[in-house]
Amino acid sequence: MAKMRGMHKELVVKNNISELERLVAFLEDLQNEWNLPLPLIPSINLALEEALTNVIFYAFDKDTEQEIELDFKMKDNQLTIIITDGGRPYDPTKKSDPDINLSAEDRPIGGLGIFLIKQVMDKVSYQREGNLNRLTMVKKWY
Amino acid sequence: MDITIKEIDEGVIVSVTGRIDTTNYNKFENVMNELLITKIRQIFIDCSRLSYISSSGLRVFLTAMKKLTKSGGQFKIVAMQPPIKEIFDISGFSSIFSIYSDLETAKKK
Repeated sequence: MAKMRGMHKELVVKNNISELERLVAFLEDLQNEWNLPLPLIPSINLALEEALTNVIFYAFDKDTEQEIELDFKMKDNQLTIIITDGGRPYDPTKKSDPDINLSAEDRPIGGLGIFLIKQVMDKVSYQREGNLNRLTMVKKWY
Repeated sequence: MDITIKEIDEGVIVSVTGRIDTTNYNKFENVMNELLITKIRQIFIDCSRLSYISSSGLRVFLTAMKKLTKSGGQFKIVAMQPPIKEIFDISGFSSIFSIYSDLETAKKK
């Protein structure tokens, strides 16, 4: 039996928050085509939304149109997503985790996005390559 | 996302259908802010048809809950589905919010 080749797909989005709608549609198609486990889709969607939102809101100068590349690879029950942008250097993996045991009164508003990515994905790593930020997120299943 | 509001004797039921994400959380935020101006004793958020939430939506939940609690009201989450509950668990929100399996139980507490 031939060994299954890894699969690969790409999506390029603009630095506009409405692009998240395209992302949702893209993930639906991806789930169908690659037969990804359905219960994983909300987690993958969440990680992507949080990561992309950060790039869209903070990576670029205001009023400039930019492109962000999303690269999807699947092999052996493992999905690897790489987000590449040409914005300001920023390593989200360095952000410290919020204290989730605080009382409601003490709990600050916000600061959950990157924490959620780390929680729902199996592996998150960052590399700065030349002028590019590259965030790699991995999700596995059995 | 679709939001409906229903007044009952005990307070107001806000039912959210679909997704709360960064593209639409402000709609939910506006509804909550308008409700919070009025003197409401209890807000019940019916999450039975809420399918997805990201940190933008969580922020609105936390802000609204804090405001209502401060003014002496009660913020109750009702009929949350497992994928949403999981996000609340991860965020530590399950321990700071009042979460009920159904509206009748929430009304009695």
